[in-house]
Amino acid sequence: MTSLTPLAQHYLDRFDEALKSLPGAGDRHVESLRRQGLDSFAALDFPTKRIEEWRFTNLAALTKAAANEAETIPAFPKIEARFSSPHEMVFINGRFSAEQSRLDDLPVGITILPVSQSLGQGSVLNFDETETRSLVSLNTAFMQDGVSLHVEDGIILEEVLTLTFRNDPSTEHGRHVRNLITLGEGASITLLERHEGTGRYFTNPVTRISLDRNARLQHYKLQQDSKAAFHLALVDCEIASGACYDNFCLSIGGQISRNEMRTTILGEEAESHLNGAYLMRGHQHCDTTTLTEHTVPLNNSSQIYKGVLDDNAHGVFQGKIHIFPDAQQVAGDQLSKALLLSDRAAVDCKPELEIYADDVKCSHGATSGELDEDALFYLQSRGIPFEQARKILIEAFLADVLDTVKHDDVRTLFETLSTAWLSGTQADEE
Amino acid sequence: MLEIKDLHAEVGGKEILKGINLTINPGEIHAVMGPNGAGKSTLSYVLSGRDGYEVTSGSVLYKGEDLLDMDPDERACEGVFLAFQYPVEIPGVATATFLKTALNAQKKARGEEELDAMQFLKLVREKTAELGIKDDMLKRAVNVGFSGGEKKRNEVLQMALLQPDLMLLDETDSGLDIDALKIAADGVNRLRSPERSALVITHYQRLLEYIVPDFVHVLADGQIVKSGDKSLALELEEKGYAEISAA
Repeated sequence: MTSLTPLAQHYLDRFDEALKSLPGAGDRHVESLRRQGLDSFAALDFPTKRIEEWRFTNLAALTKAAANEAETIPAFPKIEARFSSPHEMVFINGRFSAEQSRLDDLPVGITILPVSQSLGQGSVLNFDETETRSLVSLNTAFMQDGVSLHVEDGIILEEVLTLTFRNDPSTEHGRHVRNLITLGEGASITLLERHEGTGRYFTNPVTRISLDRNARLQHYKLQQDSKAAFHLALVDCEIASGACYDNFCLSIGGQISRNEMRTTILGEEAESHLNGAYLMRGHQHCDTTTLTEHTVPLNNSSQIYKGVLDDNAHGVFQGKIHIFPDAQQVAGDQLSKALLLSDRAAVDCKPELEIYADDVKCSHGATSGELDEDALFYLQSRGIPFEQARKILIEAFLADVLDTVKHDDVRTLFETLSTAWLSGTQADEE
Repeated sequence: MLEIKDLHAEVGGKEILKGINLTINPGEIHAVMGPNGAGKSTLSYVLSGRDGYEVTSGSVLYKGEDLLDMDPDERACEGVFLAFQYPVEIPGVATATFLKTALNAQKKARGEEELDAMQFLKLVREKTAELGIKDDMLKRAVNVGFSGGEKKRNEVLQMALLQPDLMLLDETDSGLDIDALKIAADGVNRLRSPERSALVITHYQRLLEYIVPDFVHVLADGQIVKSGDKSLALELEEKGYAEISAA
């Protein structure tokens, strides 16, 4: 066996010690799950470019060194945008903060707990022997906390429930949260998941979602991690008949970030919508990897991703639609567009359709290009200065994907942040 | 207003304008006519400041200042307006937003107070009513899915709002039927005043029946080979460019 990466070895070396302070310490079942996770991770190590799903994202900057715990990195100016929601659950450095959370006014029928307090209650932490994603196994081994949310049948929450994951400078490098979200029949809720922070850290959130019949989840994510951060997130979502999963991710932060999402459509009339925008500059790298599985007939999925890449930024989009045999009369659409603002910016796209049914309607498209020179000149010739003209065109490029955010307040927040990004509020200080 | 002296310009290393001399005084309308490839569009792009059109020698004074030294947006704010032969489609930008942004950018550059949404709406509705343009156009993305006539009307609307001092019309008649042509010409004629000038670039005499020029110039192979009054346009139509250019 080849030797492990320094960071993987570091995790292995400190597991026994870490176990003592992780939730479930002393609980033999939990410890055994964690140990299984650790063994699985040790066998796989961090993903490398040799793995097909990771061929465009190189984690060497993360894994080549053991955690640089003493390293201090100056804070990056964060784009400030006010967003108030009455319900907020806050995690600081991967651990629940009761003082900063506001969860008292949630209606009856919504149960939300930090995972650290609900570990005894069944399937929050699990270990799947067929799991091949080492980042999930790592998360199982080192899981610190997370959100355990259950919405009962028929419960509808109009207000946004915010889940904030804040990362402050700390001697602890890794932040491993595990979220478990289940919606009962006909339940409906809007989540805003925010990630933000300062300094160099590695965050590895793993989220499992299950939507019962006719449930509806609007899952919005704002990734505004520090530009020295590594953000490697995984979402698995199962969608029952008539249910709708609507995901939108706005990625602005991170040195290397990745959103890996799997949605499995299990019923008729079910919908999976994965959309997002990524705005990157400097040497930032953002990877979006999706898999949508249509296992039964009569349902639909869509994906629209748009990226704006400046300087040496690098975008990756890998989207796969998998239609099982007999999953007839299914519609799946996928679109990836990237706008390159610099000669050195680049994007890699790999759209994949794997279709085993014959009566389906699928489309996919991937484009990348520069700003339209003709349009720029047209705007300038009307008196609009170059920088402003450029901004107008980039905002226009993003407009249709931001329009897929159905919740007005969240859409406004995302538009405000995009505009601020364009103005260079989050300037590079590297 | 505009003084072009011995203007030479290249596109992609190839010389297109080979010594243009032309003076336009306030209130005058000049037509430049010429065959395809004579350099008509190049002249309009050089005057409006498009990238890739390199002036190799000569000068252009606009209101006594060096026009070639200004960025395209500065030229626009100083009152130069190019009506495009092929107006550009801009998906995702509503026409009303575009018009308001342009108008306010110019006002800001001139140190005037910018219009708020209500003031702008009132002004733009006056203009659309005058020009017989449906307000529905304001909500649509700039020129996206517009017919040829609608695109030209949009150019005329922009001109009416921005009130330029020097209008450069680049083949405004191309692709227009007679009704649309009349609307475009009407828009230009409404702006005619003793202080305002226009340079009308066209291949055909047809447009000049509606926008009557004070002077007509024939452009051939990058130079003005003949100048005259409006009767020159009729002569061109009758005899063709070859004969006039050779004369």
